[in-house]
Amino acid sequence: MREPKWHEEGHQPDYRFTLANERTFLAWIRTALALLAGGVLLHQFATELDPRLVVTVLSTGLGVVAAVLSVVSYTRWRGNEIAIRTGRPLPFSWVLPALAAVCLLTSAVLVVMLLVT
Amino acid sequence: MAVYSIPAPGDPALQPERTALAWSRTALTIAINALLSMRAGFVAGDAGLVAVGALLFAASGAAVAVGTVRRRQLTGHRLVITPPRGALIGVAVATLLASIGGIASIFSGGTS
Repeated sequence: MREPKWHEEGHQPDYRFTLANERTFLAWIRTALALLAGGVLLHQFATELDPRLVVTVLSTGLGVVAAVLSVVSYTRWRGNEIAIRTGRPLPFSWVLPALAAVCLLTSAVLVVMLLVT
Repeated sequence: MAVYSIPAPGDPALQPERTALAWSRTALTIAINALLSMRAGFVAGDAGLVAVGALLFAASGAAVAVGTVRRRQLTGHRLVITPPRGALIGVAVATLLASIGGIASIFSGGTS
């Protein structure tokens, strides 16, 4: 692997910020893996829920969100690392509100399905 | 990446330890998804999903290894701050692979 160019930008940051950024990346990765596990479990074990199509759409949606999050967590880690090194403010990201919206929507649909079934 | 290391500062917030533990938790989460993928593969009789599960078990093992390296790097008198080369990309790729496997498991073999 070649030395990334951004790693020469700016100055070495406070070690606590670098470690916190690494932990944040890992926390996002775990969030993605948890969403994925939720989607797969929903499809494998919620066999009583109807209509089946909605279950498939929900589980597929959770899988797609997990895939997007895995990429986003890396790009965000990189963006934050560059911002810390160059002393710029951390970039704003829509991931957090978007993830909250996905969770809200998924739980709302699941609650309706559980009540109807 | 130029490796950046510092003398151990005696951080009362235990940030080095928390970072090393975060790697172990991540490895465990990958292992859970490996199990799920294997189960889906066996139930649906899909060799591809079983292979994805095996691959994810390997990824989980790799994450355990990175966690061990990281724990060594983050204890003692000198802390290595730079994460192991390629480790973050590797974890992100493993998660992407897991997601693709998970989506495939939804569409393979219909309902169990």
